Amino acid sequence: MDIKYGLSATFNSAKDLYEAAGKIREEGFTSWECYTPMPVHGLDAQMGIGRSKVPCFTLAGGITGFCTGMLIVWYMNAFDYPLIVGGKPYFSPIYPFPVFYELTILFSAFGTLFGMFFLNRLPQHHHPIFEHPNFARAGDDRYLIVIEVDDPKFDDEETKAFLKETGGKSITMIREPA
Amino acid sequence: MSAEKTDLQIKLLGGATLGLGTGLLGLIHGWNSNDKSPFLGWLWGSAFWLSVAIGMLMLIMIFRVFNSEWTPIVRRQLEHGLAAFPWLALCFAPLVAFALFGGDNSGILWSWVNPATSTIEVTSEITVGEDVLHQKKASYLNLYFFVFRMILYFAIFCGLGYWMRKVSFSQDLDGDPKWTHLGMKLSAVGIPAAALALTFGAFDMFMSLEYQWFSTMYGVWFFAGSIRAALAVTIITCLYLSTKGSLQGIYKQAHQYDLACLSLAFTVFWAYISFSQYFLIYSANIPEETFWYTIREINPNTGERSGWFWVSMGLIFGHFFFPFLYLLFYRNKIVAPRIVFIVCWILLFHLLDLYWNIIPGREIAPGSAVGMEARPFFGSYLLWGLASLFGVGCICAWAVCRSYKSSEAESIPVRDPRILESLNYHE
Repeated sequence: MDIKYGLSATFNSAKDLYEAAGKIREEGFTSWECYTPMPVHGLDAQMGIGRSKVPCFTLAGGITGFCTGMLIVWYMNAFDYPLIVGGKPYFSPIYPFPVFYELTILFSAFGTLFGMFFLNRLPQHHHPIFEHPNFARAGDDRYLIVIEVDDPKFDDEETKAFLKETGGKSITMIREPA
Repeated sequence: MSAEKTDLQIKLLGGATLGLGTGLLGLIHGWNSNDKSPFLGWLWGSAFWLSVAIGMLMLIMIFRVFNSEWTPIVRRQLEHGLAAFPWLALCFAPLVAFALFGGDNSGILWSWVNPATSTIEVTSEITVGEDVLHQKKASYLNLYFFVFRMILYFAIFCGLGYWMRKVSFSQDLDGDPKWTHLGMKLSAVGIPAAALALTFGAFDMFMSLEYQWFSTMYGVWFFAGSIRAALAVTIITCLYLSTKGSLQGIYKQAHQYDLACLSLAFTVFWAYISFSQYFLIYSANIPEETFWYTIREINPNTGERSGWFWVSMGLIFGHFFFPFLYLLFYRNKIVAPRIVFIVCWILLFHLLDLYWNIIPGREIAPGSAVGMEARPFFGSYLLWGLASLFGVGCICAWAVCRSYKSSEAESIPVRDPRILESLNYHE
């Protein structure tokens, strides 16, 4: 038995899609997505999507890196094997600063990259949208909106009617083979 | 509107006369009574506005070589800023004039100008001419070569300023893309030229105040500070013009966001440079380098923390950590009052950073434990400096207002090939 993924509707222009996206947002849908052949400015705000959460991961990574650097230096130079080098103190935030600094950058980069992977649920080798018979046209001349079955407001008939109302054409149920 | 502007210009000219007049009287008085303070103050006040103008020049040339799509409408505001350069050259002229024609007191600001000036070697008083640290540098640090270099620096700044304005303003009239190409070529040559001029300018004007000391990072430090100051002034100008002036509906959140991102980047860059300079000197621990930081931390005679210690800490936390953490947040970059607050903060701390670099020097103090004292934070140089700061600021603002008011240029470069992309710029 196939698994239903969502209902798709196609639009002929960015303007139609943009207006439809506004209606869908106002209707209160949360699990839905737009597929467009090129970036549509302002679509994020129209869909009600806020700023990316990736910076939080970056910041967390950076703080972790900074503290890791401090811990390494303190543990090695002041705790496990106290050693005077060049007349500097066992531990000071100044002479090993490049270590803190580099680790801050490294861990921030890790935080950014892996945070982005995590938030985008990557790596993902397949996506149900690829089952759509005409998905390739979303990379060419069609604009696609898909409302997923998972959405709490989703209902086979009502959503279909609603998508029609918004001006969507060729409304299709996307199914993935079980 | 135009009458109102003329009124403002008259006020600015009045302010300039008042500030510069006070400063000049101070210079003459200082020269007569062998008091360095008005000279230090004048140098500090002029350095602030010079750094803003240099930052603007560098930003324009960087925007040009990158052929960036979002910058034209911002670039035009910077081009007006360049109108201040000839006046800045004039503001530095008195200092050079006193070095040239100052007679016995010609070494009052830059002691190495006059080999007969007293200086300090470790703890004893000698003349500059006897100091081996000057003898080794005398082929570079001598009066006539210095005057030649100062003229060269300002010729480069004024020349590039003139051409950056000309290529942009000419394009307003005929829309010929050749001006864009010429602008790019000039910028490609201009960036290294201006970078050398500002680096050696910083060496000559500020670093040589304590000629024994040297840091190869110094020019980069001045560049980083200049760009931060220039970005701050640009953001304030653009926000002002977008609420009350010619940029209404043109200067968008996307432009604001990018300028604020640049501010954040150069905040980090400034910290990187300033720390690198400190770090290398701290690690190497050579007396002829460390004294420069020592007098900014402790009283050399008692070993106790001096007022400069708190300024140094203030720079670390106020000029780096606070703006850095503040600017990390998206909303702080785009909400007008929030960004205006932080750029004003940056300007204030840039002023303090220059003060921290220029003012604390060693004064010969016979009888004290080490034979010298570091100039304290508060002194008459602060008052003289504020007068000069005000005067130079007024004359620069007047020149920029005049440039805005003249019908030489549109409020945005209407015929720039990138103007549509700049107008429709989107985050």
